[in-house]
Amino acid sequence: MDYKELDDQSLIRLIARSQESALSELYDRYSRLVYSLALNAVGDPATAEEITQDVFIRIWDHAGTYQAEKSKVLTWIASITRYRSIDIIRRRKIRPESQSVSWEIEPSAIEMNPINVEETVEISQKRRRVRQAISMLPEEQRQALAYAYFQGYTHREIAEVLGEPLGTVKTRIRLAMQKLRQLLEQEEHADE
Amino acid sequence: MSPEEHFFDLLPAYALGSLDEEEQLQVSEHLAVCAICRAELQDFDQIVEDLPLAIVQSEPAGDVKNKILAYARKDKDFVERTSEQTWWARLAQAMRASAPAWGIASLLLIFILGLSNLFLWGRLNEIERVSQSVLLSIPLQGTDATPQAVGMLVVSQDGEHGTLVVDGLPALDEMSQYQLWLIRDEQRTNGGIFSVDEEGYGNLWVSSPEPLLSYSAFGITVEPTGGSPGPTGVKVLGGEL
Repeated sequence: MDYKELDDQSLIRLIARSQESALSELYDRYSRLVYSLALNAVGDPATAEEITQDVFIRIWDHAGTYQAEKSKVLTWIASITRYRSIDIIRRRKIRPESQSVSWEIEPSAIEMNPINVEETVEISQKRRRVRQAISMLPEEQRQALAYAYFQGYTHREIAEVLGEPLGTVKTRIRLAMQKLRQLLEQEEHADE
Repeated sequence: MSPEEHFFDLLPAYALGSLDEEEQLQVSEHLAVCAICRAELQDFDQIVEDLPLAIVQSEPAGDVKNKILAYARKDKDFVERTSEQTWWARLAQAMRASAPAWGIASLLLIFILGLSNLFLWGRLNEIERVSQSVLLSIPLQGTDATPQAVGMLVVSQDGEHGTLVVDGLPALDEMSQYQLWLIRDEQRTNGGIFSVDEEGYGNLWVSSPEPLLSYSAFGITVEPTGGSPGPTGVKVLGGEL
């Protein structure tokens, strides 16, 4: 069986039946995303690798609990990675540098999956839209959003780290998310 | 706040999980009764889902994959070994094959079971005596959301380790897990995450950075898969030391 030809959901089903080769293929597809999310959260390559290992072991152990009708595989994996990273930050009291967080705001090469071109094009378009929307946010809003998303910091913690008033941080987060919603909606309609 | 008043300003931060505990709880309670805010929240949840697409991606070191696959291989071998036919299963098969002698064997079996019951009765009394002296059991009660749920946290004499056993909890979808919280001075420390089977039974080996007996209370909430830094979901079990 050529696992590269299978879609993500089929790989998860095979992993639930203890097919190592399916896990290997899923790793090839998502290890960069998992590692990069973790690295943005903890700021340390060794800890990010530890989280990457942990996330894929969780997928191996819990693939049977995945429900395709509830979320995409990408969303499921990103969610596990994010919460695992935030948990490690809390447990180990990690204080990552703000510079370690990097949104991709420059256009980059699209990684094409030659088997599932349609899905890749859809994800690539979405990636372009999200990156473009984030690039249009003011730097201070991007920074506050990064602390909230990657590190899981609360408003109060972000205010402490940045040395800004609590109300200012609340406003930045709210405006950033509202602006993203507006920009992504506009972009989506423009693509249709 | 009534359902007519909304939390629109807090929904973006709620989706990100960046509200303080009290605000998070207020919004959760409001969302349970307000369809308008639930619909509004969906947009922000979608943004949070899309944010990973905007990061710079880089490769992890080469040996990470090898370690993951080595774990999977070892785990698979273990499962295959344990699923092989056991000695007892082979014995049962042999007994079925020797059906004519089954009546005599049954009588013998009943005699052996009688003896073993006597032995087990003695052992149970002994274990009860020992457990009273070296283990501490903390009962956990269900909440209004889960009145049928029960739980027990059994802590070792030195208070360093414990085992949590729960029953009667609703089985969750793949996006959610139960999370144990160790509570002291209003501070909640993660005690571990777990799931339950379809019958609502689950267990968790609990190991905390500080002795379990140094905490004053324990609670269990529903959280996103992988756990949360602090409680955000519905409380389902709780108990005090």
